Amino acid sequence: MLTYRPGDSLAHRLDPRTKLLLQAAFAAAAFAHTTPRGLAAFTLLAGGFLVAGRVSPIDALRGYLPALPFLLAAPLVETVSVGFGGPKTGLAVGLDPNAAIGPLLASYRVLLILLVSAVYLRTTAVRDSRAAIQRLVPGRVGRLLGVGVALVFRFLPLLRADLRRVREASHARLGTERPLRDRMQFVASAGIRGAFGRADRLAVALRARCFAWNPTLPALRFGRVDAWGVLLAVGLAVGAFV
Amino acid sequence: MSTETESVELVGEDVVGNVARAALFAALTGAFAYVSFPNPISPVPVSLQVLGVFLAGIFLGPVWGGVSLAFYLAAGAAGAPVFAGGSAGFGPLVGYTAGYLWSYPIAASLIGGVVHGFDGLADPETIATGRLVLGMLVGTVVIYALGTVGFSVVQNVGLVEAFTVSALAFVPFEAVKIAAAVGVVRSDAAAAA
Repeated sequence: MLTYRPGDSLAHRLDPRTKLLLQAAFAAAAFAHTTPRGLAAFTLLAGGFLVAGRVSPIDALRGYLPALPFLLAAPLVETVSVGFGGPKTGLAVGLDPNAAIGPLLASYRVLLILLVSAVYLRTTAVRDSRAAIQRLVPGRVGRLLGVGVALVFRFLPLLRADLRRVREASHARLGTERPLRDRMQFVASAGIRGAFGRADRLAVALRARCFAWNPTLPALRFGRVDAWGVLLAVGLAVGAFV
Repeated sequence: MSTETESVELVGEDVVGNVARAALFAALTGAFAYVSFPNPISPVPVSLQVLGVFLAGIFLGPVWGGVSLAFYLAAGAAGAPVFAGGSAGFGPLVGYTAGYLWSYPIAASLIGGVVHGFDGLADPETIATGRLVLGMLVGTVVIYALGTVGFSVVQNVGLVEAFTVSALAFVPFEAVKIAAAVGVVRSDAAAAA
């Protein structure tokens, strides 16, 4: 799992807003120039980002392992074409390896975008991400999103543990023999009960502590490295439209 | 060192309760990503995220159901491991899963709208089963339509191929999830709402 690790790499020192901007600009540019030459350049750039965050490409790939079957399957499926009018079955199946080239480039582009995301995840603390979101999205919407993000981080491990306990208890009592619908309903009911119980206690605690629209956030400051980061992001964004 | 001198602006009573529920449902949808059942027709297992979307629409309604899934997307982008297979980050929001992920808040709002209407929340236990199922069917169609189009655009493949790779092996299980969601609403879990 890709999570934050403290460090002093170049990527750690960048402001989270710069990093978010760089990711968005990188994705836009990679979508605009999905050619072998363009992707070769983006590979170098993504490699540079990985070095800047001291993230191993293997670790980054491991974090997105569930994505790989889909990225491989899309080009493969595109090579197969099924039509009507075959001699025996009435279906004609054709194979066209050339049809895979476009989807293959597209898959590679997505892989590069995921690698760049991995650098952000490894080098940005949750508090900083929350502060960046709250400052990038204006007004109360941003504040609401900031609170929501912080609470999801806080409660995800607790709810996961709730669900794990329920599943273990169910497995121990041969719950795996029951129909799929019952098993899903059992887990979901327990999850809902846990979520509502925790939400009600949280709401009481928030009211008791005078939950306010203007919380104290960690200070974010643009430094000299951010100027270079923003310049690169602007360059990528302009490149995406040229 | 700087000191802020602005006055504290308290969040309203109703909003506090709704924010807490929306955030907890977002975390629950994330936790559902880890609950997987073996899929007999695909090597990729079936997870319960979509059930989280259904339940957010049914229990939180059109407004806060949508907000809850917006929390889910923002937290995932910020690094909470809540997306499929415990992944996170900005990449999944623009990658081949983009259509699916962005469809979640829309689907939750629509399900909430069909189930509750747009003039206040009804007690989910009192809502007719037909209406619940209709809401979830609408949500399923929106999720798979946007998901397939997103996959097709991002992966540069045709719509049929996109559906084959990203949806075909999972659509049949949505019927089971809809049945499970109705069961949850009719069970004593709903009494906690």
